[in-house]
Amino acid sequence: MTASEMRRAKRHLETTRKMKDMLPRFFMRALERRFSNEPLAWCMVGVPPELLKAFDLLWEWPENFGTICASRLVAPDFIKAAEGDGYSPELCTYVTNTMGYCKLWKERGEPPEESPIPGGMGNPSMLLGSGFICEPRYKWFQAIATRYLDVPVYSSDPLAPPWDVDPHDPRIAGHYKALLREDLQGQVEFLERHTGKKLDLDLLREILALSHKALAYWRDTLYLRKAIPCPMGATDYFSAIIPQMYMVGEQEAVDFYREIYHEVKDRVERKIGIVEEEKYRLIWFGLPPWFNLGFFNYLESLGAVVAIESTYNVGDWFEVDLDDPLEAIVERTWRRAVKMHEYGTEVMPELCNPAVFGGFVGSRMLEEVVREYSLNGAIMHLTRSCRAVSFGEVHTRNRLAELGVPSLIFESDMADPRLWSDAQIKTRVHAFIETMAGRSPAGS
Amino acid sequence: MSELATVARAAELNAQKEAHVQELRRESGRPVIGYLCCFAPPEMIRVAGAIPYRITGRPGEPTSEADAYMEPYGCSYVRNIFAQALKGRLDFLDGLVISHSCDMVQRLYGIWTYYRPLPYSRLFNVPHQVTPQAERFFMRELLFFKESLEQFTGQEITKERLAEEIALSNRIRARIRELYRLRLEHPPLIRGSEMLELLLAGGWLPPEEFLKLLEDALEEIGKKRAAQGPQRPRVLVWGSLLDDVAFYRMIEEAGADVVADDNCIGFRVFEKDIPLSEDLVEALKDHYFINFQCPRTDRGPGRARFDYIIQRAQEYNVDGVIGYIISFCDPHKFDYPDLRDYLRESGFPMLLIDDNYSFAPAGAIQTRLQAFVELLKSGRALSS
Ligand code: SF4
Ligand code: SF4
Repeated sequence: MTASEMRRAKRHLETTRKMKDMLPRFFMRALERRFSNEPLAWCMVGVPPELLKAFDLLWEWPENFGTICASRLVAPDFIKAAEGDGYSPELCTYVTNTMGYCKLWKERGEPPEESPIPGGMGNPSMLLGSGFICEPRYKWFQAIATRYLDVPVYSSDPLAPPWDVDPHDPRIAGHYKALLREDLQGQVEFLERHTGKKLDLDLLREILALSHKALAYWRDTLYLRKAIPCPMGATDYFSAIIPQMYMVGEQEAVDFYREIYHEVKDRVERKIGIVEEEKYRLIWFGLPPWFNLGFFNYLESLGAVVAIESTYNVGDWFEVDLDDPLEAIVERTWRRAVKMHEYGTEVMPELCNPAVFGGFVGSRMLEEVVREYSLNGAIMHLTRSCRAVSFGEVHTRNRLAELGVPSLIFESDMADPRLWSDAQIKTRVHAFIETMAGRSPAGS
Repeated sequence: MSELATVARAAELNAQKEAHVQELRRESGRPVIGYLCCFAPPEMIRVAGAIPYRITGRPGEPTSEADAYMEPYGCSYVRNIFAQALKGRLDFLDGLVISHSCDMVQRLYGIWTYYRPLPYSRLFNVPHQVTPQAERFFMRELLFFKESLEQFTGQEITKERLAEEIALSNRIRARIRELYRLRLEHPPLIRGSEMLELLLAGGWLPPEEFLKLLEDALEEIGKKRAAQGPQRPRVLVWGSLLDDVAFYRMIEEAGADVVADDNCIGFRVFEKDIPLSEDLVEALKDHYFINFQCPRTDRGPGRARFDYIIQRAQEYNVDGVIGYIISFCDPHKFDYPDLRDYLRESGFPMLLIDDNYSFAPAGAIQTRLQAFVELLKSGRALSS
């Protein structure tokens, strides 16, 4: 494999550049606590980080570890180790990355030194899964706990209504919310059992308040990207989501998102765009190729900026009554599910995420997004190993075509760079840019 | 072709099942509701006055029609089913019921009903784990399903009729278990491909006729066959959906007998009766959700969730296990390494065939099957 020239990504914002200091500081703090053998959970997106924080629990995200391994190009080593154990190359590469990591750990008796973060992922005392969005996400921890780590697992299982039932029907809402509530209660009981602590509802309420404050800044920042020229692009976007996973509920995160908001607002006021001469405004669908985030800079070099992303996109759903903080988590989960439903969930109905991440632009929402963000085209990353996020792109392309917006679907992976070829991708991007050049911008 | 006349009759009927069902529809004036997978009870569909029809694929047929609507990286069975719908082969369906058994079929539901809406359609949502809250959800889902069927057909699903229907389907289950027991013999009195041919008829024949077919098969075998012929290695087939006899035939041609199975259309659905308890909704929940062993449901970590397969392998005295997984089938791909290792610990070698629902290239698969059968032969020789 020849090294890709798109490996190194350039961030444009001062605030996201500062993350270079902020995150290691955070990780070091966690590492220190880990050495004192405090309980540690491996978690999945879908587990509310606020809840973990309320238990003062240490946690790690194997999915995020996957993105880090991907961006440092060590993921293939772990993935190959998992394949050697019989795990299919078709499985989600975040999963096989973790499986390979666990396998090498078990063989060597210590965390694999290939790990890109110091100390690697720590020895978990529990696994907190979530079946939100895909089935690999509950089979994954089931398999880890069967094969590599004999620790207790709680997988939450939030289901969402299919696209053709009415979530505003109180019976339907009651049906789904009962499951959400009882599931969350189960999660709380599990955490109480395995941390030996009782959930402090007052603390959870405070944490949620801080978390939602940070998220409100982040949401408002994203809305600022409707401006022409676009003040913020995808490299900053994909970097700036990380504090949501680790630091929500902390003042530091509120400060971070407030700062980013002001920086982006200032750029809007001064009309500073991501590219000198903004020619095309794009929407990005799918997971990013974490090993080649410089791809977005490459697009920018052609005058194309990504103004909105479908994944991890936070919404309006978190402005809920915090009086009963557990009910607040249920409510924000359900509200988002309903919102997504209104936006069209015919191909991705499982968006019932109790955590802070949003995501997915439904097909009925496209018209609004295309108009408000003045979009000229869509780029869709078809990730072979993550069908959960990429299955449905063909349908979205069909819907966009009805709006006169062209799409480029290209195939690769979020963590495994072996499926990437600079030359091929450049050829396709060039052809696509020509298609867009032949049309007038949607917003004008 | 099977030398059993009953199986030959089933094969003939199955080959024309679309035409037969359309005839049935015309004659009875009842709507046909297609379904995939077994979480939403077909018994309910019947009691509501509709004809349940288990949709099957056509392995190996090109699925390029699906390309305009779904990505190449999808379960090839799902693509195959949707291609059938696009080709107009399922136009006779008045309704469609798809369970959220796995991600792929759930998405098939959305795409199908978006591009090819039907007079009636329902996604039957199924939790991924067996927990008290999941059980309660499943029961509510059953009631919503019942209500939606009643609305569509205008026929009430009464407790009495449901009990009758369940009793009938339990009689079918009992006959199927009897047929399975004939495979405890060595050599088995009914081959795997023959058994599957019969079971496939159950996916669309009216239950009374299906029951008759099974009874005829039992009678015919009782008269004609005694344990004779070569004693060949015995295998259990585990894995993704197999709704075509071609793969079992390949195994049989390679020199082994399929005597047991653990996949969608097989013993899994028939090994237990639906209890005719006071609360039938609860009984259906127990049967179709709790007791229905499928890797799509998370029953917690550890080996307990594989033990029933090992027990079945022991009970049927198999020499080895052949896994069949359709590409991009996550639920099965996740379980394979653990299952393989537990089987090995218990003395059962396992061969995995990873296929795109085409059984092709046949030569390559045949060679692997033959090599595995040779291995099993030597193992049997050693142990006997
Ligand atoms: S959503 Fe995709 S990337 Fe995330 S765990 Fe599921 S398959 Fe993997
Ligand atoms: S074969 Fe696997 S992926 Fe395909 S429909 Fe069945 S369980 Fe789903």
